[in-house]
Amino acid sequence: MPLVAAAALPHTPQLLVRPPTEDRALVLRVHGALGEVKRRLTAARPDVIALIAGDHIEGFFLNAVPALAVYVGARAAGEFGRYRYAFDVHELLARALVEQGIEAGFDLTYSQDVPLDYAFYVPLHFAMPAPAVPIVPLYVNVYLPPQPAPARCYAWGRALRAILDARPERVALIASGGLSHFPGTDRYGSPDFDFDRALLASLAEGRGADTARLTGEELDKAGNVELRTWITLLGALGGARAEVLAYEPSWHHGNAVVAWPV
Amino acid sequence: MSDVHYFFPPASAYALNRFLFALKSDAAARARYAKDAEGMMREYRLDDVTRTALATFDRDRLVGLGAHPYLVFMAQVRLSMEREPGNFEYF
Repeated sequence: MPLVAAAALPHTPQLLVRPPTEDRALVLRVHGALGEVKRRLTAARPDVIALIAGDHIEGFFLNAVPALAVYVGARAAGEFGRYRYAFDVHELLARALVEQGIEAGFDLTYSQDVPLDYAFYVPLHFAMPAPAVPIVPLYVNVYLPPQPAPARCYAWGRALRAILDARPERVALIASGGLSHFPGTDRYGSPDFDFDRALLASLAEGRGADTARLTGEELDKAGNVELRTWITLLGALGGARAEVLAYEPSWHHGNAVVAWPV
Repeated sequence: MSDVHYFFPPASAYALNRFLFALKSDAAARARYAKDAEGMMREYRLDDVTRTALATFDRDRLVGLGAHPYLVFMAQVRLSMEREPGNFEYF
């Protein structure tokens, strides 16, 4: 069955738990855009959300660093501050993605037991449709070099789409990440908003395929290592034109909320 | 250290990164750190230079020793969320 929704959402934890350093009005505007995504997802009636996100060294540490992974446990759970999350996982779809992804030539890792990263639950906190649906967490390594090349992420996205189109479930495919930010580095206070704006203009013209030609070094320089999750989604979407629901640059982060017609 | 922001984590920094990972991801480890930082650092087999850098949580020094920048960043965020809970607004 074709996808029923596609979007790319931010997950910066300051949207969930706001320290005094963050502009409250900006945070609320991003919440508003995420609320619009929730409204659209509810209307699209997905059976499952396949959520492509980077791991912030939460599920996977240096004892094993998968480039691309699928979570195939029964439940996916994580915690942040006072919040405790536990989502049902759509095991049938998760397993089909692992099996058919490997068959298609992608040497995927799978796990049935890693803690869920906030890159997954922050967007779901604000945009999970009502009633809630199961998820399939799809991992792309973004923070532990060497990360998968953008071209590889794009190819995985294309393969994902082929698998999903042949499945019976109504799937919403969502990427979590970005845009420009440099946590933990001396660039934290000066993200590359010009890169973000040029990217969003290009996506609005349906030029998502261009992102497959970016290099890992370019992503690192632009504070966009997490764009790999978007690039994976773009591989699934081909030339669809993005609708930018919000772009809210804070002092350290380019918050973008984007949807695509499917 | 490197010309990229997120560099390959050197094996020499494994103990340090494992320690930061525990502070970032494990509430029990943060509680332990609040009570007995020295004992915990010894248990993680951190050397003198690393323990000194951790005493002030000096980002540049820690990253210079091979700490992953994100782990330094989020370990500090999680510690401050517990030390100063009144500063944070939950949505």
